[in-house]
Amino acid sequence: MNILKTIKKVGWIIQKYFLTLMSMIRTNIRDYGMFIALFVIFITFSFMTDWIFLGAINFTNLLNQTAYVSVLAVGMTLVIVTRQIDLSVGYIGAFLGAYVVVGVENLGQPVWLALLGALVITVIVGAGKGILVAKIKVPAFVVTLAGMFIFKGLLMFRTNNRTIPTTHSFFKNLGIGYLPTFDVGGYDLITIVIGGLGILLLIFGGINTRRKNQKLNIPNEKLELFITKTVVMTLILGYLIYTFASFRGISYLLLVTVVVVVIYHFMTTKTTLGRRIYAVGGNPDAAELSGISVEKILVIVFISMGILALISGVMYASRLQNTSPNHGPFWELYAIAAAFIGGTSAAGGVGKVINAVIGSVVIMSLKNGMALAGVDANLEPIILGSVLLLAVIFDIFTRNVRPIDYVGIHYAKQKFGDELRSAQEAFRQAKINLRKAKKEDLDDVIEYEYAFTNAQGELNKIKDKIRVAKEEDFVKK
Amino acid sequence: MKQDDLLVMKSITKTFPGVKALDEVNINVKRGEIHFIVGENGAGKSTLMKVLSGIYPHGTYSGDIIFDGEIKHFHNIKQSVSDGIVIINQELALFPNLTVYENIFVGHEISKAKIMDWDKTKKEAVKYLNMVGLDVDIHRMVGSLGVGKQQLIEIAKALSQNVKLLILDEPTAALNENDSENLLELLVELKKQGITSIMISHKLKEVEAIADSLTVLRDGKTIVRIEREDINEQEIIRNMVGREIEDIFPKRPPYEVGDVVLETVHLNAFDHHVNRYIVNDANIKLRKGEVVGLAGLMGAGRTELAHCIFGNPDNYKLSGRIIVHGKGVEMHHPNDAIKQGIAYVSEDRKQDGLILNETISQNITISDLKKISKSGVIDFFKQNQYAEQYVKDIDIRTPSILQDVKNLSGGNQQKVQVAKWLFADPKILILDEPTRGIDVGAKYEIYTIINDLVAQGMSILIISSELPEILGMCDRIYVIAEGLQTAEFDIKDATPEKIMESATV
Repeated sequence: MNILKTIKKVGWIIQKYFLTLMSMIRTNIRDYGMFIALFVIFITFSFMTDWIFLGAINFTNLLNQTAYVSVLAVGMTLVIVTRQIDLSVGYIGAFLGAYVVVGVENLGQPVWLALLGALVITVIVGAGKGILVAKIKVPAFVVTLAGMFIFKGLLMFRTNNRTIPTTHSFFKNLGIGYLPTFDVGGYDLITIVIGGLGILLLIFGGINTRRKNQKLNIPNEKLELFITKTVVMTLILGYLIYTFASFRGISYLLLVTVVVVVIYHFMTTKTTLGRRIYAVGGNPDAAELSGISVEKILVIVFISMGILALISGVMYASRLQNTSPNHGPFWELYAIAAAFIGGTSAAGGVGKVINAVIGSVVIMSLKNGMALAGVDANLEPIILGSVLLLAVIFDIFTRNVRPIDYVGIHYAKQKFGDELRSAQEAFRQAKINLRKAKKEDLDDVIEYEYAFTNAQGELNKIKDKIRVAKEEDFVKK
Repeated sequence: MKQDDLLVMKSITKTFPGVKALDEVNINVKRGEIHFIVGENGAGKSTLMKVLSGIYPHGTYSGDIIFDGEIKHFHNIKQSVSDGIVIINQELALFPNLTVYENIFVGHEISKAKIMDWDKTKKEAVKYLNMVGLDVDIHRMVGSLGVGKQQLIEIAKALSQNVKLLILDEPTAALNENDSENLLELLVELKKQGITSIMISHKLKEVEAIADSLTVLRDGKTIVRIEREDINEQEIIRNMVGREIEDIFPKRPPYEVGDVVLETVHLNAFDHHVNRYIVNDANIKLRKGEVVGLAGLMGAGRTELAHCIFGNPDNYKLSGRIIVHGKGVEMHHPNDAIKQGIAYVSEDRKQDGLILNETISQNITISDLKKISKSGVIDFFKQNQYAEQYVKDIDIRTPSILQDVKNLSGGNQQKVQVAKWLFADPKILILDEPTRGIDVGAKYEIYTIINDLVAQGMSILIISSELPEILGMCDRIYVIAEGLQTAEFDIKDATPEKIMESATV
């Protein structure tokens, strides 16, 4: 008897854990929707390709392919957050890549000098765009559309309309090189150590924040959510480490991407500059009256976009081991799509750089996965467009999600179950009566209308009571 | 149901997830009367009107709407309009870049075989404009007219749709005293022509002036229906808040006037956009521990004057001097003003004040990020501690400091705005229409906060279009009319009549 009770108790604890978890995910569906989508895409392609898709070689390759879009998407997120757009970054990136490659290969400049020159150019161009948009108030769409044409021309000039291969070791290392490895039993120890440290940081950092919040009486996220999140993140990181360690370690492209993302994540979430950028996007008038210079913030955002375009362009040229007048088209559109798939709001003030990177991975997974699975290449843009549209529709539908507490609903269903059933029965009966009365055209048909609406009201009341039930209401009693 | 009832709403219940907005609400409106619905913000007035007009379609609420002797099931606004129920919202539903006559007939155009009959349209437009007593060129763009005139155009539009029941949701909230009076007179005039109206209002003076009857709502419930002969202000307030408010304005202990902290000397501001001086020779003084009021009609240039003092964000061309703490200062950006210890709580909290989709704690701390950060990195624990402190200190009612500001009521949003500026440690606080659109209870709390701040030595400049507020809260009053400073009163000498006289020069 006792054993049965214990089993029941343990069962309820597990059920409650999952109900709480589901409540949290359902309530914050906007934040998790994309991760779920990515998961579905990964699993689908894995089945279609006999797990080659998620295998070490292809997965490493996928992330290397994604690198240049990710970096652009990070900058584009901030541009869109501040209610602007930048169409010029594709050709600016390609031009800057060409500038560096031609400088090194044809003009014999040292790499640092070519990079410095490109940096100076992009900062000036970014500042120019920012000033035109913020101060002279030319719409960003027009400014950057013009920039797109101009830099396409400059790219053709710089490359002399020829494809120029790279020979310098810098491009080779960056584009197709990997961090030094230390092989132990077929696995790279360095990757494992770095990854292990990352996992430890994740776990202990999380626990530390919770402790400090508790001490200062600041609300924490639910324990169930924290545990699940940490476990899932550890598994994902674990898988990534395993993949990289069993192939060739960590590529420089991935390293650069991670560094960029970490810096921007930190900047947007933890610094005053980040706070100001989001304030300007959320409400420019309020920001200006709060003492924030909107002009300055916009200039900074466009310069940052330019610098990331430089990094992206050099990465792309390095990975392909050449620069060409054909580079550049669609880069900015992939970046914009990635930002939107990542939940950035076109209305401004909302968007996370990490989610934009996930958005880039979604896009590149579609390209990579479909090629690998042997799907007709013409289908790819159609599917990408549909995914983009679905992501934004999803975002709009989930804009005003109310908190839901399944544990509370569970309790409430137990408590109000009988009431609900009798109200449902009464409503059904009233509906039948009304229909009958209408058919027979009774004189007092309005009385049946009353009875019907009243029964409907009673049912709605109980349904509402159950829908909004909170766990606390029941635990106290 | 009695024969002379035009509208009966019977035990209307409407729930949103988590909130019961209306709970068994009953109202009835007699034919040919002006019926007021009063209640604090969040009492359910607007929700009730949305149920009535079909914005919340039949089936999403329970209870019955009986209009003109029939049970109505409105599924959208079009159906209620075709039955003669027209609602005019606070946010006017006009097209600023269409002309007056186009606006009046949008949606029910006068046409022959789908081709617009412009001659008839214009003739009809003039007819309805005459009915509402508006003399305006019908070819003008509606956007170029003032709010008062736009409101009259809305009413003309309603009349052109054979309205039987006209519903006005806080029609005078954005109007000055003159326009408000005109509007009230018009309603009485329309009553004589047999048009029944329902009016939602915060202003009890209006209720006393023209109401035939009223219903008080509180927390989504019907509290009482009061007939013409029993209407008095105290009684209404008692029913609205569910408690006696002895005085609308809290008492302030006698203050000690200190040194002049802010002074403008011959301050002029020229606005390129309208090509005229919007501030003309302003000479105002603000002393330590003093509350000074800027009275005047809407659009008189009071907000513009405040903007000039607050770092001139609109880039007016300024001449004259602004003297802060005895020193002339040049301010080119609100940031400079904040450095001088000046804070400005804007009149439109949603447009210029708050970042609605960010949390309370983010909104409060945005005014001084240095205080919560070290070399550019934000300390979240510090941020949330400060926020907690302000939420407690000025009693912002919210489940959590991590709540998004858009989910708060108007009064609490206003408190967040005030907290945001207190966080910047100002010496001079400019409050622009601090109690617009918030209910009686929250107003009292804002006034208490003002008194506390002044007692701590802050100086406060209040811009307000509500004369009782100016007279109840200020020590000294400047009156502004069309950019000109027309009068200065000590509170002892000020009367509503004198102020109105100076404001309408």
